[in-house]
Amino acid sequence: MNEMLDELVPRDERPGDWDDVLRRARRRRLRPRAVAAVVVAAGVLVATPAVAVLTRDTRPRLPDGADRSDVMAVVQPDTGRLLVEIAPWKGHDGFCYLVLQRRSGCVANTHTQATAVLSGAPLFAWSFGNRRIRSATATTRSGKHVPLLVTYVGGRIDAAIITARGRLPLLFGTIVLRDRSGHPIATIGR
Amino acid sequence: MVDELEALYRARLTEFRRVATAISGDRDLGADAVQEAFARAVRQRRRFRGEGTLEAWVWRIVVNAARDARRRTRPTPPSSTVLLREGQSDVGVPLERLTDRQREIVFLHYFADLGYDEIAAALSISPGTVGATLTAARRTLRDALEEVEA
Repeated sequence: MNEMLDELVPRDERPGDWDDVLRRARRRRLRPRAVAAVVVAAGVLVATPAVAVLTRDTRPRLPDGADRSDVMAVVQPDTGRLLVEIAPWKGHDGFCYLVLQRRSGCVANTHTQATAVLSGAPLFAWSFGNRRIRSATATTRSGKHVPLLVTYVGGRIDAAIITARGRLPLLFGTIVLRDRSGHPIATIGR
Repeated sequence: MVDELEALYRARLTEFRRVATAISGDRDLGADAVQEAFARAVRQRRRFRGEGTLEAWVWRIVVNAARDARRRTRPTPPSSTVLLREGQSDVGVPLERLTDRQREIVFLHYFADLGYDEIAAALSISPGTVGATLTAARRTLRDALEEVEA
């Protein structure tokens, strides 16, 4: 258990800064009466929208920045299960995503062809402008090789989207991306 | 009192940071939470009445600061999406399987090396709850490691 936890949260060996602690401690704090006034004012402003918040659907959805006129879906080939929804990010060079209706966000195009993986389940990775990626495999901590699904999304998004076909152990060791002839292009992880 | 807090900070900074990182879910947030927590401890040092150890009192403040940091960043906004890039490892992945309470107890036990009584004091819960929660958390982490793909 200790070994696994050590891997999960490595030691932070950066030196401490006690002077920063003292500076923060000395920072002037708002008086309670001033805080109360601000809270009352803010309460008036948010009271009406708050009623709507209480009744809204809180499931993750494509972020507001997504261009909903141009949404693409990545589905599991065998079952037709919807894995990822992707849409261009309005006003930005990048895209917004919704993975398995559980996680959502927007990412900017870095123009580096580097591959990035969203930490945490479900597995979701992408690589902008890298059309050479044709297949990907995750290796689990127990040594199993799990093929991943690679989908190239063209147009304004121009990115390879990498997802798990089915369930994947939360702890994968590495992901290897390969080109058409099976040669590794990049490795993520150890 | 400030000297004692400084001594504790210097002696246990690594452990404080690791626990705060685990709770907040981010290394920088964790480090910042520790700074903020010690600043709070310095400001509020007169509230420490000597019931229990100074360290347990500080742990409670650190845990609360890390909880606040985690709360502020949830749900994950696009600008703070946690990314792994080539060459990085999947730090933190299975921790998402743990409840906030389990996460706090696991790391106070393993990283801070606190006993059940000390954890109980830091979190204001009973030692029995600490033991039961730790057992459940271990089981969850083990299951996460053994989960097999379809």
